[in-house]
Amino acid sequence: MLEIRNLHATVEGREILKGIDLVVRPGETHAIMGPNGSGKSTLANVIAGREGYEVTEGEILFDGKNLLEMAPEIRACEGLFLAFQYPVEIPGVANLYFLKAAVNAVRKYRGEPPVDAMDFWELVHERMELVKMDESMLKRSVNEGFSGGEKKRNEVFQMAVLQPRFAVMDETDSGLDIDALRVVADGVNALRGPERGFLVITHYQRLLDYIVPDHVHVLFNGRIVRSGGKELALELEEQGYALYNEEPGRARRAAA
Amino acid sequence: MSNIAPVVQNPFRQRFAAFTADRREPDAIARLRREGLDRFASLGWPTRQQEAWRLADLGALAQIDLQRPADALVDAGTLPTLDLPTHQLTFVNGRFAPGLSRLRELPNQALIASLGQALLTHPERIEPHLERLPGLGQHPFAALNTAFWEDGAFVYLPRATVAETPVHLLFHIAGDDIAVYPRLLLVLEDGAQATVVVEYRGKGRYLNAPVAELQLGAGAVLHYHQIQEESSPAFHLGGVRVRQDRDSQANLHLVSFGGQLARTDLEVLLDGEGASCVLNGLILANDQQMGDYHVRVEHAQPRGSSEQLFKSVLDGKARSVFDGMIHVRPHAQKTDARQTNRNLLLSKQAQANANPRLEILADDVKCGHGSTTGFLNPDALFYLRARGIPAAQARTLLVHAFANDSLNRIQLTPLRERLASSLAARLALGSIEEP
Repeated sequence: MLEIRNLHATVEGREILKGIDLVVRPGETHAIMGPNGSGKSTLANVIAGREGYEVTEGEILFDGKNLLEMAPEIRACEGLFLAFQYPVEIPGVANLYFLKAAVNAVRKYRGEPPVDAMDFWELVHERMELVKMDESMLKRSVNEGFSGGEKKRNEVFQMAVLQPRFAVMDETDSGLDIDALRVVADGVNALRGPERGFLVITHYQRLLDYIVPDHVHVLFNGRIVRSGGKELALELEEQGYALYNEEPGRARRAAA
Repeated sequence: MSNIAPVVQNPFRQRFAAFTADRREPDAIARLRREGLDRFASLGWPTRQQEAWRLADLGALAQIDLQRPADALVDAGTLPTLDLPTHQLTFVNGRFAPGLSRLRELPNQALIASLGQALLTHPERIEPHLERLPGLGQHPFAALNTAFWEDGAFVYLPRATVAETPVHLLFHIAGDDIAVYPRLLLVLEDGAQATVVVEYRGKGRYLNAPVAELQLGAGAVLHYHQIQEESSPAFHLGGVRVRQDRDSQANLHLVSFGGQLARTDLEVLLDGEGASCVLNGLILANDQQMGDYHVRVEHAQPRGSSEQLFKSVLDGKARSVFDGMIHVRPHAQKTDARQTNRNLLLSKQAQANANPRLEILADDVKCGHGSTTGFLNPDALFYLRARGIPAAQARTLLVHAFANDSLNRIQLTPLRERLASSLAARLALGSIEEP
């Protein structure tokens, strides 16, 4: 459902992604691991369509459609979701209002009428339980004054309500204690299914104990230098990224 | 004095003679009028060489031969309502319109009436207060108001009187090339409480130069709302002065949506120990509009507190001015004074001018001020778009969030909701109905 071909991207003229190839099929969960500065978040932002990232070569297809030509909101309406590494605080916009606006934007795009108020309320309540979110958070402004854990839970909550077909989780584990990590992972796992794809971006193997991926890729210096099964994550946990830091050539050979 | 001033003043002098010829008023009032005219003459027509008027372009106004308005008829159906029971006084072209007004039963001795009528029936309650508050001494249009006011509202609540029903004062102007000088005198004696909504609006190219005087006795509580929705070619050059006695509380909400040039000079004197005020101002301006608040908070006694939040949302080539002074006198120890000014620019041609000032002559005070001006946060925009919300709607949401922070401080629900939809309509952003 997501095909990335030879993706090169620059930020402020500096090339960060240097030729990424990645295919995620429906039902699959892929993990992207890598040290700081390897290009993980750039990849997430390019997929979501953030300004300031220039794709200089390659393409991304989403169900065969050219993703890079779509505005960020169109990507979302097509079923793409980015769980932000740093969710933005939006004072003055209530969480529930925001969520309803998002749900209705997607429905409008699909030619559907606005969501029925009762149906929406039921959906929200059901999904709130999933991430153990308190109802008071619905009335508060989007992410304003939320703790790090609350912000990440709010991301998973939004995902659970919007029910995208493909979700990119950008370092959703960073800054979470083990309980919060478990809640977030449970939320993601509950959404996994044969029609849905996930790209889980993380620095640490820890998250992958809870969200067990089908495939693991190591991103280093803008390239995927190694791909494997879930056991690759464990290997990285033991050996760290030192191997790639010191001898990227050898790592690439190992990947080949 | 500038060279053009006498030329401009002459018509005011001539008009003053005609205006006062047929007025039958107590001598004290006639004297105030003459003093107002003399003060205007000595201040002169404001020029951009004067610091206080540096940013205001009054050239277009100076070109207009401002006349005294004729009577006008207004369809009651076009006037705004508050959707709740109120004591309502309506003024059309500065004159009391009894048919468009509605007074309810009042507690003993309380008085809500047209100022002109009250002056005939209760001069002893008005004369000690009218034009007695300090402030606005340098404001030429306040001086003109004192000379030329025809009518206005008088709200008087005696000691410990609580007016549960809000007072709604509607000043409507209809006509071109006219000048209207509405007056409001509000006196809350010790412990009295009132909620007041003042609305300025109209049709045509005119000058509205209102003056409001708000007097709060010890422990009095006032919720005052001033909603400026003048017609787009209109000039609004108003003044509000407030004097607060011990432990009184003034909550002032000023909203400025209309007019080509709309300025309010607000001066608050905290003249009793422990007096506190909250000043909440919002400007929305588009095209070539200019909105301006000149604020002075004078802490004269110890343990007073003041909190100012002034915001503007500017689109097109609109401009705003916030000039805010906190002055703490040597005696006013333990003062707590805060001032915040935030400006949101929706276009690159819009311009916000901020001039926050502190003068602190006491040594044991807490004072703070801050001012920010910026465009919409691109991270927040992207966040909303990444959830499927189209760019235009995302911008709308963020603008409303910024302005609603001001409007949400208004406790009078029907007024707050009406202002929110007026804001939406003015931003012409349409899609802010429930998503």
